[in-house]
Amino acid sequence: MMTNNNIHSASFRDPSGFLFWFDGVLYRQVNTSYQTHYDALMQSGLYTELVKKGYLVKHQEVEQKPAFPEIAYKVIAPEKIPFVSYPYEWSFSELKDAALLTLDVCILALGKDLVLKDASAYNIQFVNGRPVLIDTLSFEKYQEGAPWVAYRQFCQHFLAPLALMAYTDIRLSQLMRVYIDGIPLDLASKLLPGNTQWKLGIATHIHIHAKTQQKFAGKAISQEEKQHAVRKTAMLGLLDSLKGTVNSLKWEPSGTEWADYYDITNYSGEAFEEKKSVIQKLIDMTSPASVWDLGANNGIFSRLASEKGIPTVAADIDPSAVELGYLQVKKEKTKNLLPLVLDLTNPSPGAGWNNEERQSFTQRGPVDLVMALALIHHLAISNNVPLERVAKCFAQMGKWLIIEFVPKSDSQVQRLLSSRLDIFDGYSEVGFEESFSKYYTIEQKVPVKDSQRILYLMRVIE
Amino acid sequence: MHIKLITLMYLDPGSGSFILQIVIAAVLGGAYAVKVYWKKIKKLFTGKTGIDESVEISDSTGVEQSENDDQ
Repeated sequence: MMTNNNIHSASFRDPSGFLFWFDGVLYRQVNTSYQTHYDALMQSGLYTELVKKGYLVKHQEVEQKPAFPEIAYKVIAPEKIPFVSYPYEWSFSELKDAALLTLDVCILALGKDLVLKDASAYNIQFVNGRPVLIDTLSFEKYQEGAPWVAYRQFCQHFLAPLALMAYTDIRLSQLMRVYIDGIPLDLASKLLPGNTQWKLGIATHIHIHAKTQQKFAGKAISQEEKQHAVRKTAMLGLLDSLKGTVNSLKWEPSGTEWADYYDITNYSGEAFEEKKSVIQKLIDMTSPASVWDLGANNGIFSRLASEKGIPTVAADIDPSAVELGYLQVKKEKTKNLLPLVLDLTNPSPGAGWNNEERQSFTQRGPVDLVMALALIHHLAISNNVPLERVAKCFAQMGKWLIIEFVPKSDSQVQRLLSSRLDIFDGYSEVGFEESFSKYYTIEQKVPVKDSQRILYLMRVIE
Repeated sequence: MHIKLITLMYLDPGSGSFILQIVIAAVLGGAYAVKVYWKKIKKLFTGKTGIDESVEISDSTGVEQSENDDQ
């Protein structure tokens, strides 16, 4: 329970201001040192323009007492983000769109004589399926001639991981978990294939950039060099070049074991529709305010919740499935749905300074309802996690659980067991119910039509 | 006119990154100016009037902005 001023664990590097909690509400203190820049943002029309386009988080100026009144200019209350996610949880296109947003915001800012002073991927969050800049204090009055201070950060946070995902391996987005200030350019340069030396954008902004970083590591730059170094047209040219480079990066979700998943699973078309209808009813029974769909694949069942206006996270281990889910969200302008890449056997841990800057996945809960459809066999059998531990994990995440038990007779489980010894004596309908009853009461039990599977609605024992 | 470099620049821009920018600035500025120029010529020939094309994520928005430059 937060009743006092409580500085946000990730908000400490920028002297312009910081986020703090008071009585459970998140505020941003704007310091006097930032006054001219804040006023420029608001009075130039840039704030209005960006909010209207949905590029920047809206905020209210409030009468809230500042956390540190001696240095405070104003306190603002930004609109709440339904679920905070991090770049290492994003699919390829989510990261790409976040990168393009950053560049577009900077270009629009220059039109009003302002500029972005940082370009961190952690300044972007997804709201209703679209990337949004959440750091209102990221803007600064533009000084003609000054180079773009955030160029290095943009290349490390956005360009390097995107290039690695596109040219080397999609799984390299996980390097963002290790390198909390973006991927070092010399590492990215080493890992990228040789033919990227012939792509002008990558060659300039990653390969050559890495080399100049190493060569001039300790060099001081004189004030004269800084003052007349980069004219506005040149900066626009730089941003345009980065935009073109990001746009040229493409990744096709293919060769995934889940691509034809719904063709080869156990349902007839009619049974599939009935499964959806049962799940819808079970969701209605819980009236959740928030949902996590774990092992969501492309979000096909997550939509049953998001379509009701419930903020839903569709988490899956497969980057292809998450990518397809996100592309569909974009195309259909789906609200309330956030597809994320997540390995439940190794979910995002607390990271950054003191392991508190970025929250672990579980810390961002609990939610009202957890869904675990066609998932239990992957955890219990493929990953040897005892059923009771799975139950405990889910119970910490949410009050209600809709879970599908997939028995050994199911063809999917047969496939998993085909190449190994069946050591799973406890893995049966009875064993499943027994294990989960240690943490839950079973409220509903519905067999899935045309299959051996069973849908359960469970409620955590208080 | 003496310009003091941004005092709120809390981020380490990296000396190498600054230098690279300075070196490629001339090329990028030139290429960009040409791009803007050609867009204007194209606009003239395709007969589009001065409609404020609504900006979407994937469009280059710099075209409109640089017209306000006082270089």
